[in-house]
Amino acid sequence: MWRSFCALVRKDCRMLASGKFFWMAAGFLVLYTAYVNLGYIRFMQMEPYHVYLYDPAGTQTEKSPLVQAVSSLEAMDAALLADANGVGLDASAGDVRVLLYRGAEHVDRHRADYALSLLRPTASRAPEVLGTNTPEQKARKEITCELLFFELSAVGFLGIAAVLFKEKSMGVVRVHAVLPLRRSLFLLSKLAVFLVSDLIFAVLLTLLNVGLRQGAAALPAVLLQTAVLSLAMALTGLLCALLLKDFRQFTLAYLVIAIFAATPVFLSANTSIKFDWIGWHPFYHVYMGLKNAFFGEAIPPVYCMGSAAAIALLFLAVQLAFRREIGREG
Amino acid sequence: MRGLPYQLKSVLRDKFCLMTFLLPILAAAALNLMGAIDLSSLGELHFGVLEDGLSPETTAWLERYGPVTAYETRSELAAAIREPSTNVIGVEADGAGIRTAVAGDELDIFQQAAATLPALYAQREIAAQAEVLTRERPDILESMQGIFIPAVLIVAMFMGCTFNAMNIISEKEDGVALVNEVLPMTPGQYILQKAAVGFLFGSLSSMVTACICFRLSWQNAGVTLALILLSSFVAALIGLFIGRLSDGLMVGVVYIKIIMLVFIAVPILCALIGVSGPMAVICNIVPSRPAFDGIMAMSAGNMGTAWADTGVLALHAAAWFALYALLSRRRRA
Repeated sequence: MWRSFCALVRKDCRMLASGKFFWMAAGFLVLYTAYVNLGYIRFMQMEPYHVYLYDPAGTQTEKSPLVQAVSSLEAMDAALLADANGVGLDASAGDVRVLLYRGAEHVDRHRADYALSLLRPTASRAPEVLGTNTPEQKARKEITCELLFFELSAVGFLGIAAVLFKEKSMGVVRVHAVLPLRRSLFLLSKLAVFLVSDLIFAVLLTLLNVGLRQGAAALPAVLLQTAVLSLAMALTGLLCALLLKDFRQFTLAYLVIAIFAATPVFLSANTSIKFDWIGWHPFYHVYMGLKNAFFGEAIPPVYCMGSAAAIALLFLAVQLAFRREIGREG
Repeated sequence: MRGLPYQLKSVLRDKFCLMTFLLPILAAAALNLMGAIDLSSLGELHFGVLEDGLSPETTAWLERYGPVTAYETRSELAAAIREPSTNVIGVEADGAGIRTAVAGDELDIFQQAAATLPALYAQREIAAQAEVLTRERPDILESMQGIFIPAVLIVAMFMGCTFNAMNIISEKEDGVALVNEVLPMTPGQYILQKAAVGFLFGSLSSMVTACICFRLSWQNAGVTLALILLSSFVAALIGLFIGRLSDGLMVGVVYIKIIMLVFIAVPILCALIGVSGPMAVICNIVPSRPAFDGIMAMSAGNMGTAWADTGVLALHAAAWFALYALLSRRRRA
């Protein structure tokens, strides 16, 4: 049985190599690494609001060095036009007037009061820091988690289905029906090849983008979550490929999953926008499992048991669909 | 072009093509219906306090700046502060004042807000007396949400490549390509018909999207139309390349995915980083970059830059056409 399994794994590797799957994965690795290191980290910076002061009489003597003086009201208007999040302070008429462009109500109040506080800076106790990550480390972990999730759930899903459709068109499923092999080996070999390739991808992506020390510390938990996601997505891809007629129909299902399944998960998991129903979305829990692994948070045992049960159920469903397909082909 | 109705019939039967045609239009309609996604609420401050940890007056003062959530225990509050997806600032009473706690991984703007909050609290009476004048934002494209609309338009403009690429690949897979070789049709006619399909659907999808997204003046309509027609032409040619290079539908989908990813990512990154000088010239190698830049310039009223970008796009159209013609001639030779 072991020799048959190895032969099937070799066959699947050759299929993936001929479909340029490994080259594609390497290309995405380079693209993602370049995006994180050259684009995302530079973009993910948000400076405090700039405060511009017009004070021709020099009445504001205690002002903080963070306040930028402007020579005229026109200069202040120009500064605010170029920096719509900035705040202007006009002290030319005695009392200080605050000028700002309208945004969210709460934010506007804070911007105005913050700008005024800079005119009379007082030393206050520094905030207590409870976490261990710097803003850059957080940004690196977050984006690596997002990219890994996207790669496994979208690209891996598409890849395994593409291989199966290719094999169906080549008549491999029909040949397999008459070979003296256990049926589950055909599925297990595919799962094993995709699992190993996803794990290698996860190791490289994590180490290259999170950093060697931080990445290595998070790797054991990340690899466990990668295995869960990889197996779940590969089985879903196989199931869709077995149930749907052709690759064209599959790409429609893929588009729906990519847009409607992934977008609310990313919004709820990464921003303060929280949908009430997101707890029912299975992708959300898988994504949060991966995210918790990157941030070193504990993963609840209920989630581990639930994902193991879901993978077992998916495997059974794929086996049933595969038997039906073999029956139809044979 | 007598064969064009047959090409259109073939494309209209393809659900994948229809979906790619409708996708940008639906996205534009969704953006329009929502008015504008209020991204400014993402920059809002969120505060976490202990139940009965602050006086009602202090809580009411905090609520002026953002939502306040009360937690039963200190560990729950600490977990909420550390939660990476939010920027919760912990607030506790400290004698007559307050003290704050952060995770330390927040963006500078939130860390600064936490650092200055006790001073703001101490000066709350002075701040309440100041006169605040708010103005309407001059241009929605100044803010982040403005990037969504040109991005959707870019997707529409370059989606045209999907139509002829998919069409050519399907014909290859179904054996229609072999039938075409014995039909009384020259390779030039075939290419023209295929390019026309991508061009027509790409332009139509972009025009509908542009009409939903913008209220255009006549002058702006001219630039937008020029940008749309040139982009759709380039996209149609790229579609021909994809169709030619791909052996099967799966490889074609992967090529389209990579091209769309590059075409969307490059102009957005350039706009966010603020690329200029030689780097901007290099980025213009990706045809979506002058198209995106042109739309952004037009929205900001900078017509000179918009026309310059149209010129760059015209150069792209000429270069891609020349390359395709050259490769086709070589192949025949």
